[in-house]
Amino acid sequence: MRPFREVWQSTIFTKWVMAITGLLIVGFLLGHLSGNMLMFLGKEHMNEYGVELRSLLHGAGIWVVRLGLVVIFVLHILSALKLSGRIRKARPQRYAKVTPQESTLAGRTMLLSGLLLLFYLLYHLAHFTWGIVHTDFYAHNVGYEYTLANGHVVPDVYKMVVNSFQQPLISVLYLLAMVFTGMHMNHAIGSALQTLGLTNHRLVPVLRKAGVGLSIIIAAGFSAVPISILIGIVK
Amino acid sequence: MNLRLHIWRQAGPSAEGSLKAYDVNNVSEHMSFLEMLDVLNEDLIGKGESPVAFDHDCREGICGSCGMVVNGVPHGPERKTTVCQLHMRKFKDGDEIYIEPWRASAFPVTRDLVVDRAAFDRIIQKGGFVSVNTGNAQDGNAIPIAKTDADRAMDAAACIGCGACVAACPNASAMLFVAAKIGHLAALPQGQAERDSRARDMVLQMDAEGFGSCTNHYECEAACPKGISVEFIARMNRDFVNASLKG
Ligand code: HEM
Ligand code: FES
Repeated sequence: MRPFREVWQSTIFTKWVMAITGLLIVGFLLGHLSGNMLMFLGKEHMNEYGVELRSLLHGAGIWVVRLGLVVIFVLHILSALKLSGRIRKARPQRYAKVTPQESTLAGRTMLLSGLLLLFYLLYHLAHFTWGIVHTDFYAHNVGYEYTLANGHVVPDVYKMVVNSFQQPLISVLYLLAMVFTGMHMNHAIGSALQTLGLTNHRLVPVLRKAGVGLSIIIAAGFSAVPISILIGIVK
Repeated sequence: MNLRLHIWRQAGPSAEGSLKAYDVNNVSEHMSFLEMLDVLNEDLIGKGESPVAFDHDCREGICGSCGMVVNGVPHGPERKTTVCQLHMRKFKDGDEIYIEPWRASAFPVTRDLVVDRAAFDRIIQKGGFVSVNTGNAQDGNAIPIAKTDADRAMDAAACIGCGACVAACPNASAMLFVAAKIGHLAALPQGQAERDSRARDMVLQMDAEGFGSCTNHYECEAACPKGISVEFIARMNRDFVNASLKG
C-alpha cells in the first residue's frame, strides 16, 4: 500500500489534473463563445444577457462560477509549471540536431501559449470585468446605459464592446490572443483524451480530429466579433 | 560513397564532450550503419586515436543494445528499424551525418555514444515480472487467452528496451517503455494478480529516475524500432489512476 501523497505527486496524476481542468476550461470557453455570438443578434439580446448573467441565483451564480474558474485555472497552471520544471531538468544537454517526426509546433509550445494566455486573460479581465484598462470604454465608468424592451435600464455592454473593438490596437491584441488560444487548444484537446486513457479504436481518431476542429471553431468564433466590428458589419 | 560524420566524443561520464568531424570514404551502400562506424574505428585505431565507443550486440535488431541519434532521429531515418539494421543505402554520397548519444539526465553518457540505461532495469525491478508460478512450457497452452488479448500482449512485448522513446521525446519521458512493459503483463491473466501494484510501483520508479513527463507528442512511437503504439500509454494512464484510487 502506497500513501496517497506519493500518488498525487506522480506525473500521471498531475497530468490528469491538467487534462480535467483543461477540458473544463474548454467547456467554459464554449459557453462564453455562445454568449459572445449574441453580439450578432443585436443590442437588446446582448445587454439582456449581460444583466441575466449577473443576476443568476440572485447574483450568487456568477460568483460560484467565478470561484470555480479561479480554482480550475490555478490547478491547471500549477500542474503545468510543476511538470514543465521537471521536463527542463530531464534533458540538460540538448541535441545538436533534432528532426521532429510527429510533434507539432502547437504541441511543442504549450507552455509559451499557456503563459501568453494567462497574460491575455488578466488583460481581458482588466478591460471588460474590472474596467482598469481602456477605461474610456468601460460601461460603468462612462455611463453607457441602455433601456431594455421591458423598461429596465442596464449597462450598455454592447456599446462597450463595439467602441472598444473599433480601436484597431485593442482588436489586434485580441486577435493575437486568439492565435495562441487556437494553438493551445489544437494540441490540448486530443492530448487530454490520451491522458485520460481513451483507447477506443473507432472513437479516438474521430475525436482527435474533432478536437482540432473545435480549436479552430473556438479561435475563429471569438475572432469573429472584433473582426466584424473592425470592418463595420457590427456597429 | 564518401561521408562527413559529426560524432559526439566524450572521454568519460564527467568529461566535457563535443562534436568532432570525421571523413569516411569508400563506404559501401551494403554496409550497416554500425559497420560503417567499424570502418571508421579501424581507421582511428590505425592512426593511434581512440575509437568511437557505441553499444551493440546482436546486430540483428532484437537485443536492444544499439542506439544513437542519427541526424536528429533515434536509430536514424528508417522507421521501425534499429540502427544496427539501418543500411548505408539510406544515405548518399556527400551526406553530413550528425551522430549523438541518447540525451536524458536519467541516461548519463558513459563514453561517446554509450549511455547508462540502468534506470530501465530499476523500473523493471519494481514490477516488470509476474510472481505467480506459471508452470512449464506445456502449461502455457492450458490457459485459454483470447486472440485479441494475446495479440496485444505480443505487440507490447515487442519492446526491446533500447531507450529510443526517451531519446526521441522532447521531454525525455520514458512513458512508452514503461507503458509497453505494464501493458504487456496487464493483457494476460498471469499478470492480473499484481496488476495494480505493478502499475503504481513502475510509474513511481519512472518518476523517481528523473524522466520527463509526457505531453503526448508521439515522437516515441515514430522512433520506436518495434513500432509500439502510444495506445499503451493511454492504457497505462488509466491503469495507474485506477490502481491509485483503489489505495
Ligand atoms: C484558455 C485557457 C486554457 C485552456 C482551455 C487550456 C486547456 C488545456 C488542455 C485541455 C490541456 C491538455 C491536458 C493534457 O495534455 O492532458 C492543456 C495542457 C497544458 N496547458 Fe493549458 N489551458 C489553458 C490555459 C493554460 C495556461 C494559462 C497555462 C499556463 C501556464 C497552460 C499551460 C498548459 C501546459 C503547459 C499544458 C501541457 C501541455 C501538453 O500536455 O502538451 N494552459 N491545456
Ligand atoms: S545490436 Fe541488437 S538491436 Fe541493434
